[in-house]
Amino acid sequence: MTHTPILAARDVRKRYGAVVALDGVSLDVERGEVVCLIGPSGSGKSTLLRCLNALETVDSGTVAFEGRDIRAKADDARLVRRRMGMVFQNFELFPHLSVLRNLTIGPTTVLRLDMAEAEQRARALLLRVGLIDKAMVHPSALSGGQQQRVAIARALAMEPALMLFDEPTSALDPETIGEVLAVMKGLADDGMTMVVVTHEMDFARRVADRVVVFDHGRIIEVGPPAQIFEAPHAARTRDFLSHLGWHGESIDIGIKEKT
Amino acid sequence: MSLHWDVVFDNWRIFLDGALLTILLTVTTMALAIPGGLLLAFLRLSPIRAVSLAAAAFVEFFRATPLLLQIYWVYYVLPAAFGIQLDQLTTAIVGLTCNVSAFNSETFRAGILSIREGQWNAGLALGMSRAQVMGRIVLPQAVMRVLPALASTWVSLFKDTSLVAIISVPELSYVSLKLRAETYRILEVLTAVAVIYWLLGYPQAKLVDWIHRRWKVVE
Repeated sequence: MTHTPILAARDVRKRYGAVVALDGVSLDVERGEVVCLIGPSGSGKSTLLRCLNALETVDSGTVAFEGRDIRAKADDARLVRRRMGMVFQNFELFPHLSVLRNLTIGPTTVLRLDMAEAEQRARALLLRVGLIDKAMVHPSALSGGQQQRVAIARALAMEPALMLFDEPTSALDPETIGEVLAVMKGLADDGMTMVVVTHEMDFARRVADRVVVFDHGRIIEVGPPAQIFEAPHAARTRDFLSHLGWHGESIDIGIKEKT
Repeated sequence: MSLHWDVVFDNWRIFLDGALLTILLTVTTMALAIPGGLLLAFLRLSPIRAVSLAAAAFVEFFRATPLLLQIYWVYYVLPAAFGIQLDQLTTAIVGLTCNVSAFNSETFRAGILSIREGQWNAGLALGMSRAQVMGRIVLPQAVMRVLPALASTWVSLFKDTSLVAIISVPELSYVSLKLRAETYRILEVLTAVAVIYWLLGYPQAKLVDWIHRRWKVVE
């Protein structure tokens, strides 16, 4: 039996007019793996993430999830998205619904769970992200960090096989970044497959199994965090990291060393 | 000048019947023009160009021509050109519904387009269909956002029902003008009808303001 990665992108290309966003990107993600995508703004990381769950169409190349080509039909994209959670930079909670309803709307409308079961699942997840006392409030009453934890719980309510994170801490105040990263670290420890676009180099170094470096729509280097952060092969990886002021130090943001 | 307000009190039943028909016309028209406006808004947002153009043509025709003319048109042209004979009340409801649906469709369309792309993406990312995202996420927020505009249309409609007096629908204006002609008590009758319109119209406007405050979506 041949081995199939849970997610496989092959030679994905995407243009927006004259701008080349993705210039032949190939990436495999294995079950249980945490892959962090790093690189300068506009280098194609977020575009790739959106192509992985078909929120964005690809011009050429293929994306397969659990062996299924996600481009085939709209129905296929929906089946894939049910199994693939996504967390957005701006949270994108549904402001007209309570926190609890934000978590139950997916399971009740898409998975056809009855409301009692969906609520039970939602409450367990809110407990897990430390926000059970906020179940009945609306998202506008929460801080940015709390909203992002709800957004993570909302995605988890679908019991996904894989989670995509699109710069989940970029819109947060520095003091609330840690609480979100801690939830993400917990997920990684539980064996969740994760693809994370991030500028949090410390998180990538401590939590990722593999780090993928993007530049101008291409992958310029892939490797374990030790390679990328301590002995990068590509000169542009070194440039990028030094522009960020990365010199291999770690900041204590509530994340324990990866074991 | 002597005033004879008894003309108003003696004919209270006429005013009441007229006012009830005015309310019936307003409620029926809005009950039809909300789904009508939504349908037109969806058609106008359709990616099929012929569909969106047809909806746009309908909307722009009814927005850019006088309501009075539209009511006349339905009353006189439909029977003459298409052999469709409607009674006065049905004519009034058809004319008003087409007009208000056109305005509502623009209101709904603006509301739908005001919901940011990220909300669509969040719904789609959960595995929802576009119809589910529209129905469960986008439309509820859009409707709350445009409630003040819908309220304005509602209050305008309430007053515009007076235009169907021209085709002898016995609503509040028609019965009042008839009573004025019969009694020659111009000041009393017209003042009374103005007071009745205001007493009915003002609470409606305030009620909708309250609904907006009560269910406003805070982001």
